[in-house]
Amino acid sequence: MRLIIGGYSQGKLRYVLQRWGAEVCRVWDGELPREEQAQEAAAGGRIPVVNHLHSLVKKRLEQGGCPEEEIAAFAQQHPDCVFISDEIGNGIVPMDAFEREYRERTGRIQVELANRAEEVVRVLCGIGQRIK
Amino acid sequence: MLTVITGGSGSGKSAFAEKYVTEIAGESRKYYLATMQVFDREGQEKVDRHRQLRSGKGFHTIEQPTAIYEALEKMRAMEREEAVRTPAGEAEPDRAALLECMSNLAANEMFSGELTRTGEETADKILREVEQLSRGLQHLVIVTNNVFEDGVTYDASTMEYIRGLGSINAGLAAMADEVIEVVAGIPLPVKGGR
Repeated sequence: MRLIIGGYSQGKLRYVLQRWGAEVCRVWDGELPREEQAQEAAAGGRIPVVNHLHSLVKKRLEQGGCPEEEIAAFAQQHPDCVFISDEIGNGIVPMDAFEREYRERTGRIQVELANRAEEVVRVLCGIGQRIK
Repeated sequence: MLTVITGGSGSGKSAFAEKYVTEIAGESRKYYLATMQVFDREGQEKVDRHRQLRSGKGFHTIEQPTAIYEALEKMRAMEREEAVRTPAGEAEPDRAALLECMSNLAANEMFSGELTRTGEETADKILREVEQLSRGLQHLVIVTNNVFEDGVTYDASTMEYIRGLGSINAGLAAMADEVIEVVAGIPLPVKGGR
């Protein structure tokens, strides 16, 4: 599993598509693929890429879900997957309790994924720095 | 030695900082300088979480929400009370302290209900007091917060706070032997480094 992080609009997805090839990647946006979709991708030799992981976290928190468990389970089942997430914690701590929780939990999910990832890349200005 | 550790919310900077102090402290007596004032349940939960992270690591906790150099007097008082032995030929024991977090200390110094100091006044006061404090310590590790990258224009007093914390971070980094940024739990050297 690989984790790609960086600020908004820094070229994270482009970095992934260029590095592994757009034809090899199958991208899901702000959601985890359903199991049959993931299997179909795997059967076709495609790498599952989950883009906008932070949006997925936000959506699941709003729905009362547990994104930590869902993401961890997916990562375990699909060890070749790539997660792409914005870094959203580098600001003033929001007044709104949900916004605070969203930033905190997204950060902790990133820490947990980074801990288990074989590689972590931070993209700045389109350039990937391998930080693990 | 002065170490500054920075990162965003949920970046894992606290967990890293606590581990790091424990590594570098050696035989030094370890102190945890807590700057956060607890006003509600969420604050209490944060304090409890950090206590949990520290438990079993042998930190002596000092609550110091303002006037950070006063922590040194509290350390001395605590050591007298516990009759801590000093190394041969030394007047005082070796001390390693983890100050967490600069963003709270700055807010506490700057606001008490209303704006009481400008950002620059706050920065001057804190940098002076950190310098005084660090003279009594073998190691000082300061955790601060990257609050600078959300692109939002806040009300005037929040912008003043952001500028003040920016000055503090820059001043601390200039004084520091090392500066480390923590990203997704991964320490990235910014200045110095062992």
